[in-house]
Amino acid sequence: MKLLATVLSLAALAVPAEAASAKPSSTDWWSLKPLVRPAVPPIGNQQSATGNPIDAFILAKLREQKLTPAPSADRGTLIRRLTFDLHGLPPSPEEVDQFEQDAAPQAYERLVERLLASPRYGERWARHWLDVVHYGESNGFGMDRPRLQAWPYRDYVIAALNADKPYARFVHEQLAADAMFPEDASLVPALGFAAAGPFNQSALVEQVDGTDCKRMALNLDRDDMVASTASTFLSLTVHCARCHEHKFDPISQQDYYRLQAVFAGVGRAERTFDADPQVRVRRTGLRGLIADLEKNPDAHPPTAAERGSLATAQRAWEKSLAAQAANWTPLSIEQVTSTNSTTTFTKLDDGSWLATGTAADKDVYTVRARVTLPAITALRLEVLPDDRLPARGPGRQDNGNLHLSEIRVSLAGTNVTEKPKPIALRNASADFNQAGWSIERALDGKPETAWGIHPQVGKPHHAVFELAQPSAVTNGVTLIVQLDQLHGQRHLIGRFRLSATDKPQPVRAPTLPVELLAKLARPDAERTEAERKQLFDLHRLVYLREQLAQLPAEQRVWAIAADFAPLRNYKPTKEPPPIAVLHRGDIKQPLATVGPGALAVVGTLPAEFALPNAQDEAARRAALARWITAPENMLTWRSIVNRVWHWHFGRGLVDTPNDFGRMGSLPTHPELLDWLAVEFRDSGGSLKQLHKLIVSSATYRQKSSIQSSVSSVQTGRSPAPASLTEHWKLNTEYFQRAAATDASNAYLWRMNRPRLDAEAFRDALLAASGKLDLTMGGPSAMQFKFDDPNKEVAPRVDYAAFDPDNPASYRRSVYRFLFRNLNDPLLEALDAVDPSLSTPIRNSTITPLQALSLWNNRFVLRQCEHLAARVEREATGLEAQITRAFRLLCTRAPSREEMALLTEHAHQHGLAHACRVMVNLNDFLFVN
Amino acid sequence: MNPASPAQSRREFATQLAGGFGSVALASLLQEPGRAATAPAGTSPLAHHRPRAKQVIQLFMLGGASQCDTFDYKPALQQRGGEKVNFTVTGGTQASAGPLLKSPWAWQQHGQCGRWVTNALPHLAGCVDDLAFLMAMNAPTSEHSAGQTMQTSGFVVPGFPTVGAWVSYALGRLTENLPVFVALPDPVGLPWTGKAAWTNGFLPAVHQGTMLNPAAENPVPDLFPPKKSSLASAGSEHDGLALLAKLNRAQLQPGDSRLEARIASYELAARMQLAVPEVLDLQGETAATKALYGFGDAKTEPLGRNCLIARRLVERGVRFVQLWCGSGLAGASGNWDNHGDITPGSDFERMCVRSDKPIAGLIKDLKARGLLNDTIVLWTTEFGRTPYSQGSKGRDHNGNTFVSWMAGGGFKGGTTYGESDEFSFKAARDTTMCYDQHATLLHLLGYDHEQLFFRHDGADRRLTDVHGRVIWDLLA
Repeated sequence: MKLLATVLSLAALAVPAEAASAKPSSTDWWSLKPLVRPAVPPIGNQQSATGNPIDAFILAKLREQKLTPAPSADRGTLIRRLTFDLHGLPPSPEEVDQFEQDAAPQAYERLVERLLASPRYGERWARHWLDVVHYGESNGFGMDRPRLQAWPYRDYVIAALNADKPYARFVHEQLAADAMFPEDASLVPALGFAAAGPFNQSALVEQVDGTDCKRMALNLDRDDMVASTASTFLSLTVHCARCHEHKFDPISQQDYYRLQAVFAGVGRAERTFDADPQVRVRRTGLRGLIADLEKNPDAHPPTAAERGSLATAQRAWEKSLAAQAANWTPLSIEQVTSTNSTTTFTKLDDGSWLATGTAADKDVYTVRARVTLPAITALRLEVLPDDRLPARGPGRQDNGNLHLSEIRVSLAGTNVTEKPKPIALRNASADFNQAGWSIERALDGKPETAWGIHPQVGKPHHAVFELAQPSAVTNGVTLIVQLDQLHGQRHLIGRFRLSATDKPQPVRAPTLPVELLAKLARPDAERTEAERKQLFDLHRLVYLREQLAQLPAEQRVWAIAADFAPLRNYKPTKEPPPIAVLHRGDIKQPLATVGPGALAVVGTLPAEFALPNAQDEAARRAALARWITAPENMLTWRSIVNRVWHWHFGRGLVDTPNDFGRMGSLPTHPELLDWLAVEFRDSGGSLKQLHKLIVSSATYRQKSSIQSSVSSVQTGRSPAPASLTEHWKLNTEYFQRAAATDASNAYLWRMNRPRLDAEAFRDALLAASGKLDLTMGGPSAMQFKFDDPNKEVAPRVDYAAFDPDNPASYRRSVYRFLFRNLNDPLLEALDAVDPSLSTPIRNSTITPLQALSLWNNRFVLRQCEHLAARVEREATGLEAQITRAFRLLCTRAPSREEMALLTEHAHQHGLAHACRVMVNLNDFLFVN
Repeated sequence: MNPASPAQSRREFATQLAGGFGSVALASLLQEPGRAATAPAGTSPLAHHRPRAKQVIQLFMLGGASQCDTFDYKPALQQRGGEKVNFTVTGGTQASAGPLLKSPWAWQQHGQCGRWVTNALPHLAGCVDDLAFLMAMNAPTSEHSAGQTMQTSGFVVPGFPTVGAWVSYALGRLTENLPVFVALPDPVGLPWTGKAAWTNGFLPAVHQGTMLNPAAENPVPDLFPPKKSSLASAGSEHDGLALLAKLNRAQLQPGDSRLEARIASYELAARMQLAVPEVLDLQGETAATKALYGFGDAKTEPLGRNCLIARRLVERGVRFVQLWCGSGLAGASGNWDNHGDITPGSDFERMCVRSDKPIAGLIKDLKARGLLNDTIVLWTTEFGRTPYSQGSKGRDHNGNTFVSWMAGGGFKGGTTYGESDEFSFKAARDTTMCYDQHATLLHLLGYDHEQLFFRHDGADRRLTDVHGRVIWDLLA
């Protein structure tokens, strides 16, 4: 099917002239050259004050461009810059005062150390990482179902960064924690990495295997994992090679599909784990024992000690069962009708009724039955297998399932004119519930939810419903039992029986097979040896399952997993399925099969993995993780130091952090990039050391503009040292020349001035208002009104209707719940990411809608009120209050003119309104 | 995304030093960031050729509108209803095909062109001489969200910019008072993919569709402060914004046009505060106009209101209006996903009634006002439906063939392109995909779809991916 093939070629690669002339097969490209530590350039008498090699590299380039670096920014600017950079938060006025008054030569270094040691650091930098790995908390696509267990991965990243986990280890854990560190289950959340992207639930879960739609969706699902791995760790865009040999980079289709093979054995699912090793050992042991005993009751004969405790437990068990047992009397059914004329019912000898004829999509069965007990306390509905039903039933769906949407009971009138009187039911229980289709759903009043029994088809099941008022039903009356089956697609009951009991409540459905119940009813002395053995074996399993149930609940994380609970048509594969190269990416045109491996472009490492057992899927991922972090893998080390540089400076040494290929940019400072990569790799891959190195440089500490900040000129606070301004005077002529040479500041002749990103804006506002809740971790804060009436479609999410004073509002933004299709309009206006794709660089736009949000948003306005209330508490007199609010937001104090204007405004419109103006100042929104 | 080119930054800087920075900042804000990325240095981002249209209204029938019961007349289907035909099922929700289901609606030829339309759409039937039909559209998927994402962005996976975002990126704004790209969801609820249906993808945020919700207190998020807020009063609004501008102006830095742009953004926001309520205030519309759109009837007024607002938006210079008929979040009903029933009295009929008169009214009104000459109206859906039945009276999804139509803005009315097979199961001749439709749209707007791209993650991304051709047969 040619049409499909063309559609599948996702990559839009218009060929620019210079790129087309390059030979894609060649690895003669800067990013693919082996890493060699370059010599630090000699910079003569312009050696930087800090002696930091970074400055030598930067200065050398500036000289080539006939540019000079800017002088150091003042302390107020530096502490604001550093705190936003490392924490995503503003410094408090007290921290600013302390730093400005700290005369020690090590004051700056101490500040850096303090900031890096704080857990706020991990929260800030985890957000950067989550942008790249396109972490979201819903599935995206059409059924944007929430992922309530994605957060453990987010917490893992925060903790890993705070612990300064060596980078290689960080990579290993995210790709293969289960294979490489099997003894430490607390690392399982790291596996959320490859599962972080969107998940096409309607295609993968709803579509049956083998359809084009399903196969295409599976291919694209693996593509997402492969593309994410390659762009995150290697800064390569391999996804082009899904359909054709990469046009610009030497990546073959074979390379690409080798990477797909690495992930072939995993799906995305809620993966369970026990972070506590003792619990894990106990659970694993119990599960193994139960599985063995289920197959063969004599697999593990109990020890004498076990025998003793089992005997005691069995006596108690039998006693409790006897107390629970109820006598069930079949109802005398007079008539059963269907709403569809094609369905008729036949009464069988055992008192059950069989539905025959063509099954409609949906149906309602109505049963009229006479009560022959003095008073009914509960009703039992049995659904029974039958050879005449599909898959032996008990349902009429092709797979033997049924869905009971609602059960309704009423008392028939004594004559035709009297309306039936509804009888309320409660406390539904069943011997078995299909996952997500439990028996309470037959009593919840919602026609769209129901009780089901899949996959336990071909077996009898029963459900018990208590009457809310047992006295209502007495001997001789006629009951009308209505069985609503409205889910559609012939999820109808095939054969059923109705019984009643008068045993005092509570009455619950036992989870034991009915024939065993009969054996239990007899005293021990009357049982045969075989029966005793059968009961002993059965109880032993019940006992072990109880032991298992008493363990603390397993933790769950949305992650990749080879083994997981099947979700309708989405099932784990026993072994990784074979992966073939696809001609033009077309699932219908498979070429040769490939094994797991990596990219041949990294010439320093073998691309094919030598695995002792090629079918061990976890070993495949471990091999890829080791290949990525090998010291010889030049891409990995260049990639991470460039990202870190990008996040510090707002622009990478390569300004396409996800693409080091021929469509990406060239490095502005290739030697510095390599020096940093080697330094980082060889000193153990400590991100905190790398941060320290970068922020300690004179390059990082430069001013961002030629104008002195107001604080130093007009408030007398920390004037810039005269010596540093010598060669970089407030000189428009110089500025003009520098800007003409390098307007985008690629050579860093000054510091860049970032606009606060969405999360930093929101968190800074909360910090200023005093409402910021620094609680770490746990399930995400839903900062919206949440309504989820229909589990088949996306929930309803209303941000405008959410109370801004709900405590969930006050959590740091890294903990907010991230819907892919339903993002927060306030944060969206500030360029928060859409996690459908990787975001290596945040956009930073300025729009009228952004102005409207910052000026009018309900949450923002509420924080302005809190900010005003806070400074009224903390300072006396309007001027002092305005100064404090201004410093909480902008770090610096207001100028005399600013003070005069804001005071006047506050007099007229209130302090909170003056805060509203301050929150919208450029000096709050930008970091100098 | 790419930062501004060095050449651009130099130009901007030089102009700032020469003429103060206000004018340039405002201009760059109006032009939208990112646009200049396609333009050679030293030129303004001009269209590739002379445009035939300057605005677009995209009408999206959510759910997969049945071509078999609206526009694709197949005598064989009408004659052989009930017969079992051996179709190879490749999509949809069921594994096997039911018997052929003849349309329960009456077919009749209409207009000079003699276009067949059923009596399910009597008002649109009266417009066929203005419509250009794609009779053999093909979708690569029969799954709702992927189908919707395909028709809106040209990709089956999420994250790519939608057509409106591309048009915003290419053509920029016509008015300073309203957003460039406006989305009008069905009042019943959002489409399958929520707000992602008008996403800017990796284009700068300014190209995102602005959702307009006429019934809400704030038809645009945060257009006004909440009524209950103690901070909102007319006097304080004015004084506060004036003070903000004054304080921000005092802190400008040469070489950083963003600071000036922020000042301008509040001025534009203030204009939007006037313009949005004005565009939603329908008091000035005559009774005759309102009647044309189906006002006064609860079945047609909800969509009629949005259609009328769409015309008013276009009149006031909005580039791209995306108007939705049907919601994905309301569950299985309230859209065109008519698995169970397409006969009279069904949800299918309700969707037809809901949209027929309002959309026909929109075409007629645009035409009467001369707006149809340079406004393209595009009617589409995620895929078609099967000629065979699902259950007894419904139809399943069918990506193999469906119908879409365009009007105005350089399209030749009364034309058709493409043909499906004898039962309307598969596209048979002159098959088109959304790429071709999008390429034609960009062509009429003055752009070569192969030359309009944006660098993202190592690829120069296009709306039409690596596909698309202009459908010349439908152009006037």
